[in-house]
Amino acid sequence: MEVQNAKKRINKGFYIGIGALVLLIAVLACVYYFLGPKGTEGSKEYTLKVVNDAGETTAYTGHTDQEFLRPALEELQEAEDFTIEGEESEYGLYVETVNGVTADYAVDGSYWALYVNDEYSNYGVDTQPVTDGDTYTLRYEK
Amino acid sequence: MRNKVTGESSRHISVRDIAMIGMMTAALEAAKLSLSFLPNVELVTLMVILFTLCMGGRALFSVVAFVGVECLVWGPGPWTVMYLYIWPGLSILTLLCRRQRAVWFWSVLSGMFGLLFGALCAIPYLFIGGIQTAVAWWIAGIPWDILHGISNFVICMVLFCPLRKVLERLVKTWGVPRE
Repeated sequence: MEVQNAKKRINKGFYIGIGALVLLIAVLACVYYFLGPKGTEGSKEYTLKVVNDAGETTAYTGHTDQEFLRPALEELQEAEDFTIEGEESEYGLYVETVNGVTADYAVDGSYWALYVNDEYSNYGVDTQPVTDGDTYTLRYEK
Repeated sequence: MRNKVTGESSRHISVRDIAMIGMMTAALEAAKLSLSFLPNVELVTLMVILFTLCMGGRALFSVVAFVGVECLVWGPGPWTVMYLYIWPGLSILTLLCRRQRAVWFWSVLSGMFGLLFGALCAIPYLFIGGIQTAVAWWIAGIPWDILHGISNFVICMVLFCPLRKVLERLVKTWGVPRE
């Protein structure tokens, strides 16, 4: 009888634990769905600034229908004297080289930082939404 | 409390403890690196829980040493601050719940830890960029937190019992005093 009661308690705890886990996953999925990064459809004009390792700034004006920055920058490569290269990672493109200037964190701690309207971006180029009128800056930093 | 075999106190650190802490640290680092090619799938959570259950408070030293080794491997960054409270925090939480034996309990705890990992990591951003930055940073990583939580749960369900058996056998063989 006692063994059966203990088993019942364990089963109850197991189901409560699994339920709590599933509930938390559902809550997180909802938060991401409603509050996560979202691109906007339609034509947008944006400014891209590239600040290289010498501190020199090159500015470009881009026009795009893309919702996120990476495909917009890939379009910009075709239209302007601008290049961007990097390594595909699980989090999207890890930018290594912009306009021929390579930042290698493993060698000297340098990297290409992404800013949106002069504020540090919380996203990578793959998930950064493009908004009409915004200024994006790729800055070489150490 | 004194160990009946060795006469050692469980409250002071012996030479053998230092060697064990070194081995646990190496195992944590090896576990971290072995799955580093898979995003947010890791064995560190399970091993921190198991080490704490089997070795008691000594595991806390190895967790702190593991954070130090990670700094040497990857270079210090904002994540150093996060690691300094996240992993020792998990170890302390395990110590508080150490009477629990059920594998499902530890699997659910591992899963919850993975799901909340991003939220816990976002805390330093509250002080760097304010609440908006911290929340935006947390939300951006939610898909990875969900993957982390699910993989932690599955890994713990599968590996908790066999690894615990091996560790308890080692603890017995070495005569490690229990806390």
